Parts: sequence; C-alpha cells; structure tokens
Amino acid sequence: MIMPAASGNSGPGRPAGWLVLTASERGAAHVAVKTPNQDSVAVERAGASGVVTAVADGHGHSRHLRSGKGSRYAVTIGCQVGQEFADKLTADRLDEPAIATAETEARAERIVDLATGFLVPTVVDRWREAVLADVEADPFTEAEQGKRRRGDDPTIAYGSTLLLCVAVGNWLVLAQIGDGDVVGVCADGTATLPVPADPQLDGLVTTSLCGPHAISDFRVAIVNTTRTPLLAALLATDGYGNAQVVEEWPDSFSKDLAWLLRERDMRWLASQLPAWAARCASANGSADDTTVALLISPAGQTAHEITVPGGTAGTTASEPDPGTDEITIPADIRTTR
Amino acid sequence: MCGAPLMTETLMPGGGVARRPLHFIVMADCSGSMKGEKMQALNYALRSMLPHLVDWERDQLQAQLLIRILAFASAPNWYVADPVPVAELSARWRNLEYVPMGRTNMGPAFRAVAEALSPDRLERRALRPAILLITDGLPTDPPGGFEQGLAELLGTAAGRSALRLAVAIGRDASSEPLDRFRSQDVPVLVADGTDEIADRLVTASIAVSRMSEIGVNREALAAQLLQSGQNRGSDPAAQPERGAVRFDDTIL
Repeated sequence: MIMPAASGNSGPGRPAGWLVLTASERGAAHVAVKTPNQDSVAVERAGASGVVTAVADGHGHSRHLRSGKGSRYAVTIGCQVGQEFADKLTADRLDEPAIATAETEARAERIVDLATGFLVPTVVDRWREAVLADVEADPFTEAEQGKRRRGDDPTIAYGSTLLLCVAVGNWLVLAQIGDGDVVGVCADGTATLPVPADPQLDGLVTTSLCGPHAISDFRVAIVNTTRTPLLAALLATDGYGNAQVVEEWPDSFSKDLAWLLRERDMRWLASQLPAWAARCASANGSADDTTVALLISPAGQTAHEITVPGGTAGTTASEPDPGTDEITIPADIRTTR
Repeated sequence: MCGAPLMTETLMPGGGVARRPLHFIVMADCSGSMKGEKMQALNYALRSMLPHLVDWERDQLQAQLLIRILAFASAPNWYVADPVPVAELSARWRNLEYVPMGRTNMGPAFRAVAEALSPDRLERRALRPAILLITDGLPTDPPGGFEQGLAELLGTAAGRSALRLAVAIGRDASSEPLDRFRSQDVPVLVADGTDEIADRLVTASIAVSRMSEIGVNREALAAQLLQSGQNRGSDPAAQPERGAVRFDDTIL
C-alpha cells in the first residue's frame, strides 16, 4: 500500500510530506498450523500535510484467541486517535516551525505531554471499549471459552502490541507498546532508535494493550526532524527483527536503505517492500507474521534525484554496508493483506 | 531462455535473514564414578539422540538448533564450546571421557552455562534455550556451591526461561538438587541402568523439540515423560501439528 501524506507538492517536483509504504505477510509457521496473519497495518492522512501509520502484532498464544481482531482494532483506533492528536497539534500551532531554541524545547515538551496525556490513554480506552463491544456483540463460543484461562479479562483474548507514528510538521511522534522495532534512518545513513527499550520485554512475553498497565507500559518518543533529519522511518512487528541475522541490524538496514533511496525511486521501493516482508516471514526467516510501515521523508523521496556524487543532499557518502550479505532473490511480489 | 519466468531482483537492506537460533546445552557428568560402562552408555546415548534432533530440525520451520556440550567433574570443561549445528556435531562426533578422581561439582558447571547464556553472548532473537543435565550422582560441591551456581544460572533471563531437563542415571541420582534444577513441568528422567540412558536422552530430545511448540499439550507430554520414555511421543494429544513452532508470545 502506498499513502502519500499530501496531495500536492510544495514546489516543482518537491513532495510536501511523508510517503508511507506498507506490507504484511503471514508467517510460514502460521501457514503450517493454519492460523491467520494476526498482524495489522493502517495508514491515514493527518492534518494538512501529515500522516499517521500503525502496525500491530496480535499475540500468538492460544489464550489470545481473537488477537487478529485485536490488532485490527489497534491500528484502526491508533490512526483515528492519531488524526485527532494531529488536529490538536495544529490547533495549538505546535506543528509550525519554531525559530528560537527555547520555543522548540517548549513545543517538544507540550507535544510529549499531549502524547502521554491524550494520545496514549485515548487509544487504550477506545481499544478496550471496542473489544468489550465486540465481545458483547459476538460472545465467546464454547470452544473459545475452552481456550481462555480462568479469570482472564475478556480483553486478553484480543491481546496485541501497537506501534504508532504521527508525522506532522517537523515532528515524528512515536508511541509503542510491546515488542517490535522503530528505526529512524538518518540522512547520513546512520540509525536512530528513538523509542526507549523496555527491559520487561525478553522475547518471550510482551507488554500489551490488554495488560493491566497498558497506559504506563507505552513508550513515547518524539523526533524533531529539523534537528535530526531523517530519510525514512521503519515501524515493524517483531517478525522482521527476529529474522535479521545481524545483531545490530538497524545499523545495516539504515546504511543500506539510505543507499537504496539514493539509487532507486519510490516505485521500485514500493514494489520491493512486500518481498522484504515475505522473506522475513518465510521459513528461511523468522517464520512469524511480519508487517512493516516504511515512512519516507520528503528528503528521502527525492534522494535519488540528487546528483551529489556519492552522497545524499549535503551528506557524506553512504555506500551499502560492506559487511552486509545483501541478498538478490527473485521478487515475490504480493499485495498487502 | 524460452519459457523462463520473468524475475525481478530484490535488494533487501540489512545483513540478510535466517532462522532463529535455538541453543541446546548438554551438561554431561564426567566424574570419576562415570568410569567404564556408564561412560560408554552415555556416549552411545548422546550419539543416539543427535539423529532425532536432526530430524526434528529438518521438519520444523522456525529454529536452527545449535548444540554445545559441557563436560563437568571437579571443574567444568567445554567439550563443544561454540554452538554448532546439530547435524554437524552428529557427523563429527567424538566420545566424551571421564575424569579420573573427578568429583560431581555442579555449581561451577551452572556458572559456566550462565555465562554462555548471558545477554552479551546470546542473540536477542534467540528462542528460549534448552539445557539437559545428565548425572549419576549427587552434587559434591563445597557447602553453598551448588546453590550459588544454580542461582547464577537462574539469575539470567535465558537460564530462567530455559527448558531445563535432568536425566538421572540410577535411582539415587534422582535427588532434590535435580528437582531444583529442572523446569517445573518436566520431571526428572531416571535411567535405572546403563541400557536405559539412550532411551531417556531420546525422550529428552523429544522434550526439547516439542515442549516449546505451540499446540502441544504440555501436561500430556509431561505425563509421557513421567513414564520414563515408555511409548515416547506416541500420544496424539501431546503432539502439535507438523511444522508448528513457538509463537506463543503472551502478556507479562
């Protein structure tokens, strides 16, 4: 799926906002046991030239028997609330560029306050409301009851992670609960990981929208793209990261993606993203459901047009990682699910 | 080429993809009391176990099984120090040897495994590891040594979450210390004689391969293990579907 943030351009050939590419692939192990893809992804416009996107991973354990539905609620509600959040930023003029450093700092604080005070609790509350309404409309069957644990809150059946990104003005506002990765690709090809790590996540259990402390388990981060220019940002469920051979894969990913953005156009990138997800979801990768949302900044969208030898606009050269085992495979192009 | 499908190249950023590693560490008692028939039987049993693991690895979709062997007596000694694919170890197997006068000090062995499973030495994407302890006797650690070593192992996230199996060679070896080591839902497997060691290790290998899969009835499988390998793996209720692997991520 391709979603441009704005319908118009800011100048001749210059994109006004972020472009979002998405892909989702059912894991090979899910195919083997005939379970559906429990991941979800959504993207919507936000404000005049912004965009909001979300990926979510419904938990695979049998007690989370409606987690596919839970992840769909998560991305839909995440994007709806993200749009409202973007409107609030616009109403408060927080999305406008600030001149003075002190003003920028003050705006950053207010954005974080709004994210923690409105965005996160509203997403959690509405997700719970949606889940409880669904249970009322479609009660658990006898078979489903058999899979639930005694005393489980109904929302546990719908357990899901959520990674949400609101890109508006010069800000990226990120909110994440549970596992998965958010990787920012800087203009020089280095990686930035804006969302703080959660020591509670050990690869076996995860924080969740269905958890008792969902609001406080969210991790929030903002990126001022004036200070930290980004070419792209990746939101991915853990099926992507768990497939990567390299331990510090965000570094290799960023360096390679910066190079690809310079060498290839957006159409090519859009055609490849489903193949990347498919490769991660395959039996040669994590075999888990894999879902990605790749946000490309205006600078990233035009990087390939810039003829600065060996580099993106005004940056140092960004060659593909020499240590990378870059793979050439027949593309397995699939539609977004 | 006539009829060849049109293919488009894919360049994928990053360092490539691979199956997730599943680390399996065998802690083999090589103390002096293992001399003779027991050591022969242990080597035979380990050799017999490997093909079962090779088969399982081939049939499932997610994990790459990597095995290490720690021989322990008075002190631990990595017999296979670096994780190797199970098929590779099977192909170049060399027998373990007992340590003359060697004691059964488990504490330092647990510490060695804890170090191997420390966060800086274990891939973040690694699946829950499995540890198999095989011994014919009670721990002979100095006072507190067993407890300290075990605490160190269980103090690591990977050690705590690992599938921990114990095979006791002889009824006397099935002791309270082994109960403290093993995972809660997996009984100590007892080999009454050397001829049963191979059977118990094959049972253990089934546990390694099956206990972490989705769809498995862990209680039913544990009950099977309690039967000490009798009719191992035959209860359909305990079997997940072929190719099922663990994505049982759940909430904290």
